[in-house]
Amino acid sequence: MNTNGNTYTVIYTTVIVVIVAAILAFASQALKPKQKANEQAETISQILTAAKFGTKEEITKQGNSAVIKMFTDNLAEAYTVNEKGERAGELSLDATSAEAAEEAALKAQNYKIRDGKDENLPVYVFKDGTTVLPIYGAGLWGPVWGYIALDKDLKTIKGAYFDHESETPGLGGKIKEAPFQSEFPGKSIDINDDKGIFQIVKGGAPEGKANAIDAISGATMTSKGVNASINTWLAAYKPFLEASAKTVKTDDRILPFTLVDTTVVNDAELSAAKPITK
Amino acid sequence: MDKQLKETILNPIFKGNPITVLVLGICSSLAVTVELKGAFVMALSVMIVTGLSSLVMSLLRNSIPNRVRIIVQLVVVALMVILVDQILKAYAYGIDKQLSVYIGLIITNCIVMGRIEAFALGNKPVPSLLDGLANGAGYGLILIVVAFFRELFGSGTLFGLRIIPESFYAAGYMNNGLVILPPMALILLGCIVWIQRGIQKDLQEK
Repeated sequence: MNTNGNTYTVIYTTVIVVIVAAILAFASQALKPKQKANEQAETISQILTAAKFGTKEEITKQGNSAVIKMFTDNLAEAYTVNEKGERAGELSLDATSAEAAEEAALKAQNYKIRDGKDENLPVYVFKDGTTVLPIYGAGLWGPVWGYIALDKDLKTIKGAYFDHESETPGLGGKIKEAPFQSEFPGKSIDINDDKGIFQIVKGGAPEGKANAIDAISGATMTSKGVNASINTWLAAYKPFLEASAKTVKTDDRILPFTLVDTTVVNDAELSAAKPITK
Repeated sequence: MDKQLKETILNPIFKGNPITVLVLGICSSLAVTVELKGAFVMALSVMIVTGLSSLVMSLLRNSIPNRVRIIVQLVVVALMVILVDQILKAYAYGIDKQLSVYIGLIITNCIVMGRIEAFALGNKPVPSLLDGLANGAGYGLILIVVAFFRELFGSGTLFGLRIIPESFYAAGYMNNGLVILPPMALILLGCIVWIQRGIQKDLQEK
């Protein structure tokens, strides 16, 4: 058979490409649910790490279903807030709520923050009162993102977790590692600080400054990127943080954990009853 | 025939190693050797890709139009690589995340195309499969050796398990930060090439 003729070549390549495409389409469809579950569990484990449910390794090691169970068992509320700090939407209290904090979703929100409208920023509130807010921005080589957990007062930082796509290992890549992340707990954010709600300072943070930490040596651009991401996102959350700070003071949210469920009901009743009391 | 088959399998492991003798696949061997676990999965992935691509190309060898053979090879190799990547994403997500783009870049690994061109297009399927697997194994062997030293001296662990005890760190021992970075991998690779040429005198250039 003449395998060098034009007709033969065209038919041959067409058949090969169609077969290959069919195999890939099948593989993609067959493996998609599993891949999606992995991504979801990864995001959840990062949120849980920020909220101090354990180290990243400890959490991931348990396997996807245990990670999701840990998340759903401890999650009290999940919702999104708009640019005015108002509750814009509810997220279900199962694993799907983590989709709003996945890298792709954060990227989309990042554009909206830049435009200053149509924001739908996720907020995760755990039963122990910890509130987790995501951040997203540009590092040196690619996107960086992370999760910052705030205590009940919405000021003190409980923990933080950062991830990146392609920062230099050993330099900028250190944002993903425990030594950098352990600088955060105990620090606090200051939404009224003009220089930055939270600062990552090259050359070392000033002694005693509550809303600043040291940058990473040799990773100036990544540190700056994380700093900018935190400030851009926390600035976007500022109306929400201000509004929540007031409610934290007025109604007594610092109740024993067992009563949290009833407080939620009471809250709903309260807000429904407000117009009458006024 | 049996001796020839043995030669096909053993040659790429040491005497004709794709990395140290043919100097192919250097890029990925520098990038994914920070940890043994990553190196191990990468080695396995390359083995599977080279093996299966060689097998498929050998089955197709008599029917391929000569003018488009490189494109057909590329399509087959890309198919194998994407399949491996998708499977890793589903069943070994953590490692796939760590290896990031380098699994996808197996497509451009010269070993795969090199073996198809040099061997699979002129040989029967079974020897081609073995040749592909053996070349992948030769590549993987070097990866694992380099990763062994990089993880041990760079992180003090092997397969994520602590080898250098905490008490050493308390006494002032520090991980070597340079070993984590790719340049040190190149130096280690150079040392391996040096040792091999010391043993195998016929590889030395006059």
